[in-house]
Amino acid sequence: MLKYSLKRLLSAVPTLFLLITFAFFLIRIAPGGPFDSERALPPEIEANLEAKYHLDEALPLQYLRYMWQIAQLDFGPSFHYLDWTVNDLIAQGAPVSFALGGLALLLALAIGVPIGAWAALRQNRVADYTVMSIAMIGISIPNFVMAPLLILLFAITLGWLPAGGWAFTPSRMALPVVTLALPMIAYIARITRGAMIEVLRSSFIRTARAKGMPEKTILFQHALKPALLPVISYLGPAAAAILTGSVVVERIFTIPGIGSYFVQGALNRDYTLVMGVVILYGVLIILFNFLVDLVYAWLDPRIRYDEQEA
Amino acid sequence: MLNEFRFLTLLAVLLFWLVPVQGGTLHRGLGPEPDALDIHLAQSLSALNVLRDLHEGLVTLDAAGRLIPGVARAWTVSDDGLVWTFDLDPAARWSDGSAIEAGHFVAGWRRAVHPETAAPMAGLLDAVAGANRVRRGQADSHALAVRAEGPGRLIVELERPTPWFAELLTHPLTFPWSGDQSRLYSGPFVLVERVPGARIRLAANPHFRAAQALGLDEVVWHVIEEPSVELSRYRADQLHITETIPPGRLQWMREQFGEELRIAPYLGTFFLAFNVAREPFVQAPGLRRALSLVIDRELLTERVLGSGEIPAWGLVPPGMPGWTEASRAEPLTMNERIARARELYRQAGYDDRQPLRVELRFNSSLTHRRMAVAVAAMWKQHLGVETRLVNEEWKVFVANRRQGRITQVVRGGWIADWRDAGNFLQLFQSDSPLNYTFFSDPVFDERMANAAQDDGPSRLDWLRSAEDRLLEQAVVIPLYYYVSRHLVKPEVRGFEDNAMDIHLSRWLSLQ
Repeated sequence: MLKYSLKRLLSAVPTLFLLITFAFFLIRIAPGGPFDSERALPPEIEANLEAKYHLDEALPLQYLRYMWQIAQLDFGPSFHYLDWTVNDLIAQGAPVSFALGGLALLLALAIGVPIGAWAALRQNRVADYTVMSIAMIGISIPNFVMAPLLILLFAITLGWLPAGGWAFTPSRMALPVVTLALPMIAYIARITRGAMIEVLRSSFIRTARAKGMPEKTILFQHALKPALLPVISYLGPAAAAILTGSVVVERIFTIPGIGSYFVQGALNRDYTLVMGVVILYGVLIILFNFLVDLVYAWLDPRIRYDEQEA
Repeated sequence: MLNEFRFLTLLAVLLFWLVPVQGGTLHRGLGPEPDALDIHLAQSLSALNVLRDLHEGLVTLDAAGRLIPGVARAWTVSDDGLVWTFDLDPAARWSDGSAIEAGHFVAGWRRAVHPETAAPMAGLLDAVAGANRVRRGQADSHALAVRAEGPGRLIVELERPTPWFAELLTHPLTFPWSGDQSRLYSGPFVLVERVPGARIRLAANPHFRAAQALGLDEVVWHVIEEPSVELSRYRADQLHITETIPPGRLQWMREQFGEELRIAPYLGTFFLAFNVAREPFVQAPGLRRALSLVIDRELLTERVLGSGEIPAWGLVPPGMPGWTEASRAEPLTMNERIARARELYRQAGYDDRQPLRVELRFNSSLTHRRMAVAVAAMWKQHLGVETRLVNEEWKVFVANRRQGRITQVVRGGWIADWRDAGNFLQLFQSDSPLNYTFFSDPVFDERMANAAQDDGPSRLDWLRSAEDRLLEQAVVIPLYYYVSRHLVKPEVRGFEDNAMDIHLSRWLSLQ
């Protein structure tokens, strides 16, 4: 297992390297630059700015400079938010996005798995159809519709919760967490239901039933674990995506996370900020996919990574 | 009974949420995250608004946007208009209690024009003798003609007479500078908390020279990019003043908010600009004029945009010194204009069988798209012009517009840096880096040069004649004048509409 883990982590290095290289050149190929604005700068001031950020150097040299910088975990100054470095912006925004995404993820799991399993047990009955229809609606309503509806109801009409703004308090976090979690609850419920139905039909469950094992034990001890496998593989990339923030939810609730930097950074041609968030996202994707594989091995005794090499 | 109980519960809940809003804390919408809270690097309106609360220049603005003494108690101008002498207020203090001296202005201005600072707005100081050469790296920053005479007097020599110089001194770029390391504030408030993407919290500065007159203990500027989001936070009583209102819902807003909705003229103009260096618009003032005449500005502002904009026929907005509201009204009726336009269109060699094909380029935004669709429809309906709408992402758009290699008609606009018509007209001088029309006209340039040489009352005449020339040549199609749009809670005192749309928090208080 250790050997496998090491191998996986080492193979992440070239992946990241390729990602950084592609992203570095792609964002620079995009037309328009960080200093283009409504008021075109006088040429000499633009030249001063380019010199300040080394944009006047040859591209390969800029690339080497950047690689050397990030090797020291320095993502450089933001080109657009001049008071901050990219490290500052990520350090301030990431905890917010992580907290929000993490809570939404937990909420989605806590609700999605039980209702999915419950629907599977009542397959093709009214309860199943009801739950799955609601889930379908949950998936279909985009969060830019759901969020304003929630605000209208809970903040403006009822006045129970604030309409936006951020603090690590339950009242401020409630609406954005729910908005983020709703479509995930629906996804997870549907995946769990499908997997559960399949598992309940498999021969080892039939054997367990034939042995007269109590239904509860069958469900929780034997059926749930393998039924969770597809949920886990969905969670890997989903977790990376949700932890790096959602542009829509951050905008509508004015939350200072890192999600909006993906869009703002690209629109502003804020080269360093784009690179910073792309690298962070890449690292998280790699990390979560790795974790998913580890959890797989734990959930399914048939999966043993090191044995194949022995 | 039950209703009363529910009402009381609701009231209690509401009050609970209102608590942080009351006391001496004012909550204001800021718009997007400021680019920099550095007086020399800031460019965005949001940054300038916060900096004006944190710092103060020689001259400042009152609630109605009029010039009043700031750190300078008084100033005199030499007869030739070239030497300005400022006497500083001895009560002016930094936020640590130390005196603000003339040397701090000298240091600030030198930093502003120094090439290494790369200040994007450094050109504002070009009026000062030597500034341009320092900015281009052709001279040492000591060549900048600003000097301190003792701690209390600042002397500035100008390149040429600049009647709007006092106005420039309200711009943060010209504020005093306490040095690279110190975080001192010369203004009514000091920065206490800053969360990127969320808020900027300011507290009253006890050392401010007029601290006793401040009506607020705290000001919180909230970073909110989406106007609709800002509106919902205002409705939920989380904001006292919004930065703007969402477009296209004016009627509803009027009914809903009544007196709280504040719409006022703002020194800015929205126009379409021709690239006169590319076909089909080279040497074609008649064709350009035809395209301008058939656009129904009233319809556009009332029905299509619907946020209180004012129809425009001139470049310089009303409210500018020397420009009155009626000075640029179009005398012809819509039908007369259409007839005249058709004539001009035919003279330019186009008709129904051989229509003009043109490209209208704008940056992606819902408002701009609606504007462009309406304009293209009017061109089509009245002249038969085939318009291709091209929308581009912001950075791509501004780069294309500036280079002018592929543009024909582009979305344009300008907001005054200072209250002077010359600030608008200079865009179209042949040597201006901002001239994306590529208009290069000796007559216009000469009139602008004459205005620059003149600091008497005839200066405005030169500027007016320059604007006449620009409109006669139909280099731009003015569509509407901007308005400032805010929602202001009834408990806010001291908020006055003004054409600069600058509302220093020091004049505001809560009832």
